[in-house]
Amino acid sequence: MLTAKPVYISGAGIISPLGCGLAETEKALRGNLSAITPLRIFPLLQGEPLPVGQIDGLQEQAPLPRTHLLAGIAARQAVKGCCTPPEAIIIGTTTGGILTTEQLLREARQDKLLYRYHGLNTVAGYLAQELHCPGPAIAVSTACSSGAVAIALGLKMLRCGQYESVLVGGVDSLCRLTYFGFHSLQLVDRSGCRPLDEDRQGMAVAEGAAMLLLTTSRPENARTEILGAGLSCDAYHPAAPHPEGRGAFMAMQAALADAGLSPENIDYLNLHGTGTRENDLAESKAVGRLFTHLPPLSSIKGASGHSLAAAGAVEAMVSMLAVRCGLLPANTGLQKIDPALGLEPIRDPLERDTRAVLSNSFGFGGNNGSIIIGAADSFSRSATRPAYPDLAVHGYSCLTGAGDMHASMEKIVAGETVAGRASLDTIAGNLPPRLIRRLKRLPQMTLALAAAAHAASGTDCPKPGSVFMGTGWGALSETYDFLTRLNESKEQFPSPTDFVGSVHNGPASQVAIMFGATGANITTSGGDYSFEQALLAAQLMVDEPAKPALILGADEGHDIFSPLLDSSVHPGAALADGGAAFCVTRQAKGARCRIAMPFYQSCAADDVLAALVASFGGPARTASRWALILAGIPASMSTLGQEQLASFIALAKSSAPVVDYRKTIGEFAAGSAVAAALGASMLETGIVPGSLIGGENLAISGQNNRILVLGLGEYVTAMELSHR
Amino acid sequence: MPELIEELKVKLIEILNLSDVKPEDFDADAQLVGGDLGIDSIDVLEMVVMVEKDYGIVINNQEVGEKVFSSLSNLADYIRTNAPKTSC
Repeated sequence: MLTAKPVYISGAGIISPLGCGLAETEKALRGNLSAITPLRIFPLLQGEPLPVGQIDGLQEQAPLPRTHLLAGIAARQAVKGCCTPPEAIIIGTTTGGILTTEQLLREARQDKLLYRYHGLNTVAGYLAQELHCPGPAIAVSTACSSGAVAIALGLKMLRCGQYESVLVGGVDSLCRLTYFGFHSLQLVDRSGCRPLDEDRQGMAVAEGAAMLLLTTSRPENARTEILGAGLSCDAYHPAAPHPEGRGAFMAMQAALADAGLSPENIDYLNLHGTGTRENDLAESKAVGRLFTHLPPLSSIKGASGHSLAAAGAVEAMVSMLAVRCGLLPANTGLQKIDPALGLEPIRDPLERDTRAVLSNSFGFGGNNGSIIIGAADSFSRSATRPAYPDLAVHGYSCLTGAGDMHASMEKIVAGETVAGRASLDTIAGNLPPRLIRRLKRLPQMTLALAAAAHAASGTDCPKPGSVFMGTGWGALSETYDFLTRLNESKEQFPSPTDFVGSVHNGPASQVAIMFGATGANITTSGGDYSFEQALLAAQLMVDEPAKPALILGADEGHDIFSPLLDSSVHPGAALADGGAAFCVTRQAKGARCRIAMPFYQSCAADDVLAALVASFGGPARTASRWALILAGIPASMSTLGQEQLASFIALAKSSAPVVDYRKTIGEFAAGSAVAAALGASMLETGIVPGSLIGGENLAISGQNNRILVLGLGEYVTAMELSHR
Repeated sequence: MPELIEELKVKLIEILNLSDVKPEDFDADAQLVGGDLGIDSIDVLEMVVMVEKDYGIVINNQEVGEKVFSSLSNLADYIRTNAPKTSC
């Protein structure tokens, strides 16, 4: 073990209903007033507007969606005065460009260029472009804990020494999906939001953005550090928290362990405190169990509302202010404390010397994240393991238009395409009907993949503890059906089931429920590089040597949304979808192969292809290394991708056969997951089918015994499969 | 009344996607929420929407909701008692 590098907060930016910038935020918190007001930012077809936390005076900049604008404002504040761009960006978001998409759908607009900012990845991508970030731009989508999970991932990236500066944060804009969605769950308090109050009736949906520039180099006047983070999953229910706060307790406990602190070290506890009856009760039980003596505590959501994916980052900022200025914010809106909670929250803002703050964020699917922020250079450093990317694959599965791995390989060997959409019967025929009765296409695909990958790992393989899922578009069926019913019923009858199912982390949380996986549960959405982002997250997070983790990538082809949203899917063309899953550990014993992702950079990075070759040790190592190169070139990036591929082959001096795999499996964002699974299968059988490479069967042997899965286009990524 | 119960069986099987349940196997007096069918809070909300949409009755009180959705018979009773009077 090594001593972890310190992770300093070197810059911070925020825009929320409490104000724009740290000074306004601090002033609002000192004022202890609620910023929650009736909805104004979009018109309603009927009914009185519900109270929300909204940001006034935002200047529209079409075609950029509101989420992107908010993210840009906070990010520019965070990097102000900093002359080098961050090396990576990790943004928690659930809404992306949905507010714009909702409007376009109502106007029945068909021009797909208008929808180009829909994807969650475009929020991180927009910031990367604005800030000239050369590295990965990751979108984390774990519902209301997204901001906290983004910070946790950034912390891991920096600690292990691979990166020196990472911009992390969270953002969400108000939109009809969340406004009507939470209302359909009867989770909105019509009289504002009163966390911990005996008469609390729910939350106030809000918007906002907060960004932190985290660095391992000590900034001048360093005042705050991220000391630790803990992630967990309730593995209990898609929308309700575990009634005893099991996951909440585990997240807080893991954060303390990660920081090397005990509960007595916490000077202020920033609660998730949404104001729903269930959250506040479950959280209070977890807090009561963890702390013998309760620290001063409060929820700020009575003042700000609940800005969903932004909340974890907004409250990291509040925690930072507590450490920097000694300001402990009040539990705004509280009239009469609910005696069932056993908590005594801060009634009026306090001034108190504060060295360490614990901040909670919990989300749908039981995805929990707790963060600890403390005074710089005040605590001893925790230990960390050196960064090593290799994961041992014990079982894998895939799904294409042809069906499962066996059916897919059969067709590939016969020289046929596997592009298409398998029927739901083929996909989920083996899953119990009760388990999947509320699930549509993507979660059914995901559960089937997870079950198959685990089954392929052998009967003695323990159940997985953590889940990492990449999806370019999330649950398109649920999202489309929710918005359609909302519109058709003139906003009267939104579907609670579809709303719960529409969140990007829905499928991964279903996997957690199926296996009782209470460890980290992270969903990433990186467009055509979504699976790569999930693999990157897993490489950083999988710590326990023997406890398996599942890494998945899947996307569904949707008749209306896919041609409209995915720039590589041509309107009128046959749709394809699929995915893959890998059951991995850190133990090579008994593994089928190894998977690693040594490279992930923007196409705009300097000499990106030379850097890619260098990451493998230069042409001396790459000339004879791979038996096969599977190249992922999204159709919309075809010209650039082909150029990149040609340059790479020339620079690497590689003579390995190259397969443009999207021609075989079809165009869908999670295609790289399928390519990796097919690669694993070929590695295991030791044969690359001649039909795939236009020649004889190729035996995988000698030096050239690895398979490279390249991602090309907007980002250049490399995944490598090798023998154990 | 029996017609309403039969009608509700079909509706619930559809909106809750109970594809493995046949109307004739649906026990109208069995515990609905938290019973063998695995019906939970999200399903309750989906049923609340159905009752409002198809029968014009609004249920926005948790206590009332718990009683109404305790069994399919109770749901039928509640709809019968509270249905808005129609002119035909």
